Amino acid sequence: MATNLKPVDVVVVGLGAAAGVAVLPLTRAGIKVTALEAGSWMQPSDFKADEIHNNVRRRVTTGTKVWDEIPTFRTSPDERARQGAAPTMMNAVGGTSIHYYANSWRFHPWDFKVRSETVRRYGASAIPKGSTVEDWPLTYDDLEPFYDTIEYEIGVSGKAGNLQGKIDPKGNVFEGARRREYPMPPLRDTDFTDMMQAAARKAGFNPHRSPAAINSQPRNGRSACAYHGYCDTGGCHVKAKNSTAVTTIPAAQKTGNLTIVERAHVTRILTDDNGKTTGALYIRDGQEFFQPAKVVLLASYTYENVRMMLLSKSKAFPNGLANNHGQVGKHYIGHWANREVTGLFPVDLNIWYGANAQGVVVNNWAEDNFDHTGVGFIGGASLTVNHEVHPIAASAMPTFGRAPQWGSKWKKFVSENAGRWLGVYAQCNSLPYENTWLDLDPEVKDPLGDPVCRITSGPKVNEPRASAYAAKKAEEWFRAAGAIDVITVPNTQGPNLSTHATGGTRMGQKAESSVVDPYGFAHESPNLGILGGSTLVTHGARNPTLTIQALAWRTAEHLVKNWKSIGG
Amino acid sequence: MKETSITRRTILAGATLIPLSAIRRAEAQPATAIAPAMNAEQRKILDAFIDRIIPKDELGPGAVECGVGDYIDRCLADYLAAEKPLFLDGLASLDVFALRTQGIAFASLTADKQDAVLTAIDSNQAPNLRGFFNRARRLILEGMFGDPVYGGNKNFAGWDLIRYPGAKLAVGPEDQSMKTPPKPFRRELFGAAGENHGH
Repeated sequence: MATNLKPVDVVVVGLGAAAGVAVLPLTRAGIKVTALEAGSWMQPSDFKADEIHNNVRRRVTTGTKVWDEIPTFRTSPDERARQGAAPTMMNAVGGTSIHYYANSWRFHPWDFKVRSETVRRYGASAIPKGSTVEDWPLTYDDLEPFYDTIEYEIGVSGKAGNLQGKIDPKGNVFEGARRREYPMPPLRDTDFTDMMQAAARKAGFNPHRSPAAINSQPRNGRSACAYHGYCDTGGCHVKAKNSTAVTTIPAAQKTGNLTIVERAHVTRILTDDNGKTTGALYIRDGQEFFQPAKVVLLASYTYENVRMMLLSKSKAFPNGLANNHGQVGKHYIGHWANREVTGLFPVDLNIWYGANAQGVVVNNWAEDNFDHTGVGFIGGASLTVNHEVHPIAASAMPTFGRAPQWGSKWKKFVSENAGRWLGVYAQCNSLPYENTWLDLDPEVKDPLGDPVCRITSGPKVNEPRASAYAAKKAEEWFRAAGAIDVITVPNTQGPNLSTHATGGTRMGQKAESSVVDPYGFAHESPNLGILGGSTLVTHGARNPTLTIQALAWRTAEHLVKNWKSIGG
Repeated sequence: MKETSITRRTILAGATLIPLSAIRRAEAQPATAIAPAMNAEQRKILDAFIDRIIPKDELGPGAVECGVGDYIDRCLADYLAAEKPLFLDGLASLDVFALRTQGIAFASLTADKQDAVLTAIDSNQAPNLRGFFNRARRLILEGMFGDPVYGGNKNFAGWDLIRYPGAKLAVGPEDQSMKTPPKPFRRELFGAAGENHGH
């Protein structure tokens, strides 16, 4: 029997990248928030400059929930889905914002209007077959103030390319207009970033430095980046990476209105007969608790948000929470992001150190930044090259047909070239499709006996075409940079588990085709807000976290302004 | 390659699919005494195998001298205990294949004959050994180029081989230059962040 706790205003499920920012406007407004987090706090001493710890064993997490709930995957409904890959989620206060690259992008204005802009420019037949894409129920301009807020609250380093309509070629000339410059300049320029920017310009592209939620200079009492090269899948040992665990969560704690419950494993969201949520049921250290609340904010990873809703069946919602229209799990998007193109250079690149977000990006072949007439796809890919290569990954390099994979000849090859190769990270604009969704696995269960999330992801045509097109441009870039060899290994399958999993509880105007309204509250359960990647409608050609955070802040602000109608 | 989401993280062009059971649980346990996972016979086959994957030659020590066998044994005894039966089956199958094709156990073959066996596996003449070969090669890279705290990369010879300058807690602009190679910094850093926050 669960112990009933004292009611609070808001209970948050999962205190990561999304809720980690949302708690700040809520608690500043005097709303009492209890955050249930499956993991616990991590300290700088928990983070290692060690590839085996971070990247091979993926130890930057706390607790075991992520390992126990890895989704299954299949490519068609005829297959049995299988668990295989390592988890993409993590458990800790701050969540994945602790170990992410911290590339902090605004989505492009086009991303919010993919359907209408495509129809307008290329006709209705240009919408990819089988895609369920809709325009977002908000525009870039609607979200711009929140992007700005997040960039300043957590701290993002970068260079504006479009300052209130004024284009600056040092920044991303394709971006939507921003009201002001980034709070910090980009991370350190290096010979490598200079070389790759010069090469991109030579190829006729418009390169710029990656925007990063990492301090390029000391800020708010925390250090600047130490560039030690263990940022990817690791945490920051000097607190320079602006995870919510070192930025907005501590700020919210200072209000005195935030209670954080570590090691709280939420099992169900409960609802009354009218479909209003009443709180969250959780297990902590072997005991079951019920935390009643006026408002529930579900804020875990996409797979977990969907799973929690499908598991939370009730009289009002026999098919899962806020799922009477069968939309929960639909319109899921696994971000099409690959390293297909690899170049071999005649010089040591010296990219061992630094941060993954210490990169150079080309956006000419993303979104609708070029005329797509006759190319056979919409959208495209951003292309990124970056610092931070670890020795095991470097030695696992392709041999470009110049050496075998083992023996003395391989040893000689790798001794010369492990520091001389580079992959381009191509992130595609990715859309929802009828053949791609999330539900509960009928066989695989977690230790509590609850089914894990199942991914069904059918074949696609648009994304691999966009990726292949961008790959040709990446080859040009590498050649312009002096690569002596370039190989492309096309990826036509797309992601299995995705580190950029989005959709599944998408936002929209109608309950017939979406789960949450334009402010992130469930159509069918008005005091349930959903934060996280699961609310996204399309996936931009870039990392999603800043957009997730801007939306989360917007949801929280909406709740503050409408507290009486939503929380009353 | 199926693990596209993983490759995003690791940029491993040649990564193999790691069984889930193999990567679960267990903390890193540097430098603690654990009973060996392999018996002397199994270790002999493994050492012969890794010696051909990364041999000692004019460029420096090979996998055996760098402690890669110790790295793999320690993994199988502890962190990869769930994978141990599969891995040891692979080692035994390697010996069976050598006996069948060369008439002698793998470890007793000359280097040339051992290479012939590995070439046959690498060209898919022993489909049952493909998975073992890929997995073993991957573990060899981890042992050769991982932090020495895990038992391999002795004297940082793996890092010297590929000119990886070494993990350090703070890196200045001079160490990110292409004009002058960064100075080697040879120190095991596992846990060091806890003693020194680097600034």
